[in-house]
Amino acid sequence: MPDWKRIVRERIGTLGLTPGAEGDLVEEVAQHLEDRYRELTSGGATEEEGRGKVLAELEDTYRLRFGVRRSERLPKRDAVPAGDATRGSFFADMGRDLRYAVRGLRRSPVFVLFVVVTLALGIGANTTVFTMINTLILNPLPVRNMAELGAVAATDVSSKATTAAMFPMSYADLKDYQARNRAFESLAGYSSAYVLSSLEQGSAQMIFAELVTGNYFATLGLAPVRGRFFLPEEDGVAGAHAVAVINYKTWQIRFGGEEDIIGKTFRLNNQAYTVIGVAPPGFIGVNAIFGPDLWIPAAMAESLVPNQMRNGLSDRSKTAFFGVGRYRAGAGQARAQANLASIASELAREFPATNEGHTVAVKRVREVVFGSARGAAEQIAFAGAALLIVVGIILLIACSNVANLLLARSASRGKEMAVRLAMGASRARLVRQLLTESVLLGLLSGAAGLLLGYAGLQLVFGMFPGSANFPAPKLDATVFLFALMLSLATGFLFGTIPALKASRASVAERLKEEARTTGASPRRVTVARALLVGQVALSFVLLVTAALFLRSIGRAYNMDPGFQTAHLAVFPASASGAGYGKPQTKGFYKEARERVEGVPGVESAAWASNLPLWARPANGLEIEGRQQRSRADTIRTIVTAVETGYFQTAGVAIVSGRVFGSQDQENSAPVAIVNQKLAQDYWGGGALGKRIRLPDESRMRVIVGIARTANYGTWGEAPQPCVYVPSEQKYSESMTLFVRSRRSPQEIMIPVEREVRAAGPQVLVTGVRTGRELIDGGLFQARMGVTMLSVFGLLALGLASVGLYGILAYSVTQRRREIGLRMALGATRGGVLRLVLKQGMSLVAVGLAIGFGASLMAGRLLSRMLYGVTASDPASVAAAAAMLSTMALLACYLPARGATRVDPVEALHEQ
Amino acid sequence: MDPEWKKGSAELLVLSLLESQPRHGYDISKLIEMRSGGALRFHVTSLYPLLHRLEHEGMIEGRWVEKAEQRRRRYYSLTREGKAVLRSKQKSWRDFVDAISRITGIEHA
Repeated sequence: MPDWKRIVRERIGTLGLTPGAEGDLVEEVAQHLEDRYRELTSGGATEEEGRGKVLAELEDTYRLRFGVRRSERLPKRDAVPAGDATRGSFFADMGRDLRYAVRGLRRSPVFVLFVVVTLALGIGANTTVFTMINTLILNPLPVRNMAELGAVAATDVSSKATTAAMFPMSYADLKDYQARNRAFESLAGYSSAYVLSSLEQGSAQMIFAELVTGNYFATLGLAPVRGRFFLPEEDGVAGAHAVAVINYKTWQIRFGGEEDIIGKTFRLNNQAYTVIGVAPPGFIGVNAIFGPDLWIPAAMAESLVPNQMRNGLSDRSKTAFFGVGRYRAGAGQARAQANLASIASELAREFPATNEGHTVAVKRVREVVFGSARGAAEQIAFAGAALLIVVGIILLIACSNVANLLLARSASRGKEMAVRLAMGASRARLVRQLLTESVLLGLLSGAAGLLLGYAGLQLVFGMFPGSANFPAPKLDATVFLFALMLSLATGFLFGTIPALKASRASVAERLKEEARTTGASPRRVTVARALLVGQVALSFVLLVTAALFLRSIGRAYNMDPGFQTAHLAVFPASASGAGYGKPQTKGFYKEARERVEGVPGVESAAWASNLPLWARPANGLEIEGRQQRSRADTIRTIVTAVETGYFQTAGVAIVSGRVFGSQDQENSAPVAIVNQKLAQDYWGGGALGKRIRLPDESRMRVIVGIARTANYGTWGEAPQPCVYVPSEQKYSESMTLFVRSRRSPQEIMIPVEREVRAAGPQVLVTGVRTGRELIDGGLFQARMGVTMLSVFGLLALGLASVGLYGILAYSVTQRRREIGLRMALGATRGGVLRLVLKQGMSLVAVGLAIGFGASLMAGRLLSRMLYGVTASDPASVAAAAAMLSTMALLACYLPARGATRVDPVEALHEQ
Repeated sequence: MDPEWKKGSAELLVLSLLESQPRHGYDISKLIEMRSGGALRFHVTSLYPLLHRLEHEGMIEGRWVEKAEQRRRRYYSLTREGKAVLRSKQKSWRDFVDAISRITGIEHA
């Protein structure tokens, strides 16, 4: 008897099945042949005849090999649950659906991976943005019942309370409001953060501190995590209680969370302060964007910052405090406003010299958490909403990708559905089953998305400079709830259409159709194409937006700020904590400058009292001969004390008159240089020889020069007045050394800083940076926005490309037979390639056209955030279109190339 | 017989034969040949891919059975899904034959 097993193995070769399955098949076929052989021989045939006949049956091995391989390509299924001939309970059904869904998903790991990664990117982006919004907009202040808090600030009488700019008020005014008001249960005050130097291990460190009234923490309703908050007497006698409450993150980062922090002392500006408590985590002050490391009782103001706050507790012209109060039961913003305004007019009558023309505004505390700048809260809310829309679009793209995938998958599951319908399952029941599956996928993706979102947050919050002074992302129950709802909604969103479609199968039709898997139903393809066009359009909008902002920021970088930045480095130094007297500090400035001028590569160096783009205007400039309409009618101006070489070093041009020189000494005639803006506004340009008086000064100064207007407070700001005075005539404990380098400023940073430190080891030198870094800082918000938009734009592009690739690849497999036929009839590979490319790229073209229209509208919405580019900027549109088309072409090319490799013989052999 | 017809009906034939009891491959091919009076014959090269596919799709289930004094054989039986598909195929086959008869005038035997 022939060895049939060996013969079969030789004839059919390997089939690419698992070893077990292949062995089974060979054994089965061998047995069959053996049975046949026995039958033939026992029926009278000779062994030779029998063998010949049997082998003839095995001749067409192509059919065997091809048939087996082909069924391997079909998705494998196990028995399906019966559906609902008898109605089960809701939960029993759900349990069964879940079990079935889990089993189904475990069988297609690649599908699950694709879906989870796609959706997780979408959900992750949404979680990141939502957490930022949760942190900054929904919960900016981790205090008890924020709605009961009102913010109080000084404002001009002339402006309307609702839109008024908010100014700080003096400590004495605050005390009067505290004592006289009937609207607040308690009213507290806080200052802006002061930069101080703290001597730690012999070297000066920068530290931020805020002055607060004794009832500050109690008013906000906070509890310390360690130690205690201030006692009333600690804010009583001026300068008597050098105590501090420390920011939670400062404690964690700077002190490693040491348990024995309470009772520790710090040297702040040469005075020892004792830590008495640690604020709760997440609280960085009423300003939610930037907070201090320490809170110090307001009574310490004069000893903490003697320069700014000399007589600060009694002098009503020293305005440093903002108020925050908790309303009495029944009193709200309106009553408080009325009550405090009447106190303000009492004060204006009592202290006309300082208070006339001023009143107060009571606002919701929500309006001041982003600083007192007008409209800051609206801007942040607008940015938050814009980002939410962007990530919403990304999630939509991800969902439509997955919906397309499910549609394709439902094509191959049609028979399963038909069988279950045949066995009595209701359509609703099937839809529920399919939705269970997609919601399960949604939840899986939600979990992955939370992880991605967390990573995204690390990235975003990592972009904030510094550490303890900035808010930390709040990943709280709200965020988790958001992610959960989003995952559920996502599951329904991408699951519904495919589920409805799949369950629409007519039993007989589907079962008849079963063998004919060529050609997807036209309806399904239409939906898929519509989704795809939408994806292309949406990602185009995002790309154009990102491109617009990139171009806008590029323009912003190239803008002329009125001073040179290419060869500039600045070294802010503060001698206030060094324990120097005035002569010693002046000696330090001189020595440091001379040492730095000797550093190779340094062209010139000069001290100035302001850091570029960080200057803040002061109120109260007087112009000789100008009629003041009221006491409140004052001029706000930047005041900068500069050394002789400043204008040359900083590259600020003098348009007329002279620069300061050696003749301008402390005791010589007081002089000033004003900028063009000031000169133009008050003298029509002819300011030389005119006289002005600076705030806080008694002598008049003669204007000897006019300088070109520059940016002082922010990058690209509207022109504002500025007065320069010789540093010899205006002493300051903190100055910034401007250094002009011959080549790249990077090269001189280290040697220059070394020389400055050598001149005054106890002087705080911090925030050293190049001109380029100054611009980076000035454009920080814009850069952060652009980075996020670019990341999201690329993410959208990636998702849309994957979607395009997926649907085309699927359509190519569906059209194998047609393509095979075309090729058999003489179509060239090039022709097939064009055919598929055309199919894909025509969708892309439609998407681009729609996206272009939409991007014009989006651009118009965003136009107020753009700098120097119009919403329809051709370069941005072209760049986005080119990028999208390239990616789309690639996504179409791969499946198209696959189509050209279809073997006509094999394709036509498939039934 | 027209090979196209055979192709269209192969699945129905195999499922029908398995309706009453589990059978092995050789048994199935013999029965088809016998009951059709020799008009239908399946070679190993088309029968086994078909069985493989039906099993892969969950309509039938094969398992090795060892009986005393015999080689082990792979027996196939219908799954629940297979039964449902069979019923639906039987119905559509009847509909099809009826339709053909009505059009062509060939009477049912």
